[in-house]
Amino acid sequence: MNRIVRDIAIGVLVVAVLAAVPHLIPSKAFQDFVIRCSSMALFATSLNLLVGYTGLSSFGHGLFFGLGTYSFALLMQKTGISLPVAFIATLLITTVTAIAVGAICIRLRLIYFAFVTLAMQMLMHSVIISWVGLTGGDQGLQGGIPRRVVAGIDLGNQYNLYIFAAVVLVIGLLMMRHIVNTSFGTSLRMIRDNETRAAFLGIVVWRVKLTVFVLSAVFASVGGIVMSLFVSGAYPELINWPISGDAIFAIVMGGVGSFLGPTVGTMILLLLNDVVTRQTEYYGLALGIIILAFALGLRRGLLDFITERLGGRPAGGIS
Amino acid sequence: MDLDALLDCVTSSSCLVTQTTSGLIVGMLLFMVAAGLTLIFGVLKIVNFAHGTFYMLGAYIAYSTFAFTGSYILGVLAGGLGMAIFGVIFERVLISRVYGANVLMQLLICYAVVLICDDLVKIIWGPDFYAMGMPPEFQVPPLFIAGGVVPPFYIMLIVVALVIGGGLGLSLGLTKIGKIIRAAAHNPNMVSALGINTTLLYSLVFAVGGMLAGLAGGLAAPVRSLTPGMGFSILIESFIVTVIGGMGSIGGALIAAVVLGLIRSFGTIGFPLFTEGLMYIAMIIILVTKPSGLFGKEIV
Amino acid sequence: MLQITNLTKRFGGVAATNDVTLNFAANSLTAIIGPNGAGKSTFFNLISGALKPDSGKIVFKNEDITGLDRAAIVRRGIGRAFQVASFFPSMTVAENLQAAIAAHRGQWADLNHRFPRQGVRERALEVAEMLGLQDSADVLSANLSHGDQKLLDIALALALEPSLLLLDEPTAGMGPEERWKMIEKVQRLWQMQNLTLVFIEHDMDIVFGIASSIRVLCYGRVLAEGTPDEIRANPAVIEAYLGTPDAEDDE
Repeated sequence: MNRIVRDIAIGVLVVAVLAAVPHLIPSKAFQDFVIRCSSMALFATSLNLLVGYTGLSSFGHGLFFGLGTYSFALLMQKTGISLPVAFIATLLITTVTAIAVGAICIRLRLIYFAFVTLAMQMLMHSVIISWVGLTGGDQGLQGGIPRRVVAGIDLGNQYNLYIFAAVVLVIGLLMMRHIVNTSFGTSLRMIRDNETRAAFLGIVVWRVKLTVFVLSAVFASVGGIVMSLFVSGAYPELINWPISGDAIFAIVMGGVGSFLGPTVGTMILLLLNDVVTRQTEYYGLALGIIILAFALGLRRGLLDFITERLGGRPAGGIS
Repeated sequence: MDLDALLDCVTSSSCLVTQTTSGLIVGMLLFMVAAGLTLIFGVLKIVNFAHGTFYMLGAYIAYSTFAFTGSYILGVLAGGLGMAIFGVIFERVLISRVYGANVLMQLLICYAVVLICDDLVKIIWGPDFYAMGMPPEFQVPPLFIAGGVVPPFYIMLIVVALVIGGGLGLSLGLTKIGKIIRAAAHNPNMVSALGINTTLLYSLVFAVGGMLAGLAGGLAAPVRSLTPGMGFSILIESFIVTVIGGMGSIGGALIAAVVLGLIRSFGTIGFPLFTEGLMYIAMIIILVTKPSGLFGKEIV
Repeated sequence: MLQITNLTKRFGGVAATNDVTLNFAANSLTAIIGPNGAGKSTFFNLISGALKPDSGKIVFKNEDITGLDRAAIVRRGIGRAFQVASFFPSMTVAENLQAAIAAHRGQWADLNHRFPRQGVRERALEVAEMLGLQDSADVLSANLSHGDQKLLDIALALALEPSLLLLDEPTAGMGPEERWKMIEKVQRLWQMQNLTLVFIEHDMDIVFGIASSIRVLCYGRVLAEGTPDEIRANPAVIEAYLGTPDAEDDE
């Protein structure tokens, strides 16, 4: 119980500090950074529920991130429902989709699971690109998100959206933290470590896998909703393969064995993105060299590396 | 969706021939890239996400060699040889460090190489599209088969790819090295227990895989526009091919590549915006019914 | 306790288990022996639901459990340990056992409470103590000795409070001295826990030393069954099995 209180206290503190920062340093770039970071960190952490905790390497998790952006933006643009209702409805759409996709994918093994999840994502991408009438095709869903005022707070306002994103991130992380700390979370680790043994202890493996697949999809979708509010719409890039690549990058760089690894990885990724693109037009060259230095130098994620150096036991997971 | 156009095409022999040959050359190029990919996976259990880059570099090298010497054959060979060497360096310097590591770590390393190579291509050749153009020896009038237009270059390409693929299959089946490679794919411990130099073997496999992709790039150069990033789409497609065919199966890759090439060429007529979607649907259906691909061994 | 009738399982054309009919009485300590490839492990896989039989029937405590999946069979009280120790290497010994206990208590899908729930840790330490693992409770299981890993595997099965425990070569890969230590622990468990215990074993001294009854499998068929004395005197067994020199090999 104490640890839950501690986690919540840390979360509240983070939000409070973030709320104060713009009053001290008014930087639009910083707020943008935090909003994008919130969205991507939720997404990456949700992927790590699969990769790091359950040992399911999905290459197509961006499907649910993109589905979140498109469902939310479409619901807001094409129907008259309020933002909170659209938020919930988006999560329902994601849940149903994830159950269908998960039912097909989870029985596949290792690399086949990875590629079929990717194929599912790219299939959705193809549908969105070709269904021009609904989604705007490769131009994306333009025209902004209407009705952004919720309970008197205008999420069209940069500062408000910034606080909203931070709160959503903290709540999302706390929920996922709770999930991995439950008995269900232990079942995930059992399956990752030794699926056969887990089954012979009475765990219904497919149910655990499907449940975590759906849960992680829902959190990815929340990340997508935040992104949709940030970009005021939805764009095919947000459901294309590199979005999954970014999340994989973030969790491997940050550390799959540490709960906050993906969040740290997301910050590294976005910082690299912002700094390197400003310094050089050869972004890929610079990023590639940095990745190699990380991957071959540390051979594990940054946070896993630090945890191990501080004398903790190996942070489990994979590297 | 334009099902009428598709119906018109399959009922007209000229359209049928044209689309089939263009589907076949796509399939053959895919097969050459995918064969290397599946070979590397079969023996080393490494998913080479940088394989599309081999193809791209092969095409650029062929382009420059052709521009320099005027010989297309030399260009293709240079592409193949260059990528064989590149494959060995890539394996020795980078991939050998992540054997046994998680697939995501391998993915990350390969991703870095893709990023670096795409930018290097931009630096060396510039960011613009290049068209190599048809080599002079193939600037001849097209053949007409059953009313369909078939450029002789296409026939050459199909024949060459089949010869290379057949040669690969034969050498895997008949030569001593081929037997060792197949044994290694089956049971790596046994091979090292037999005192075979696995380091050399792994480099060789990457050399062959790199060479195939480089040759494919060189062969494709006259009919594809060259651009940094051209490796990606072929990478995705050749993954679909290897997965559908069953990872590790070269015969499976050939069949899957031809099927995919045909889906692509006829799909462009019937479903112009959804051709890629068709390929993904094919992949999903096959893996749902056969979880290890058409000819893959069951991974337990 | 466990009645197996006409059980058959084929791989390709080969019957790994061929028309096997066997009974196991409650609270018996039964050894299954047989030469390599006799179908002993397949037999365990069939009982525990890892494989589905082609034909035949498995009745456990008067309930037909044929064709049920692994988890369902575990819930009915059949636990098993493996020839190669099977556990969760990223967890400590205590965490391994807590996980098994949580699974046994039906908490494996619990998304509400923190792990481990009340009483789970205490119970885990109890189970650890049954096998003498209490001093290693907080050791990472990947770092245990081979023998302790085998014990942990058995402890995981025991955490489920099974009424029938299947042990696939509990002494595999051990030296002679370690073997006897292990087998004494197994024997003590059997006495203390009111278990029906079936184990596969290659070491004939152990088999004839502790088993209350013996089943001999050969090429997927039941060659003989009976008390150790009856088996020792059975000419078919002597000819087909006890005479062969590879009796000590691992399967």
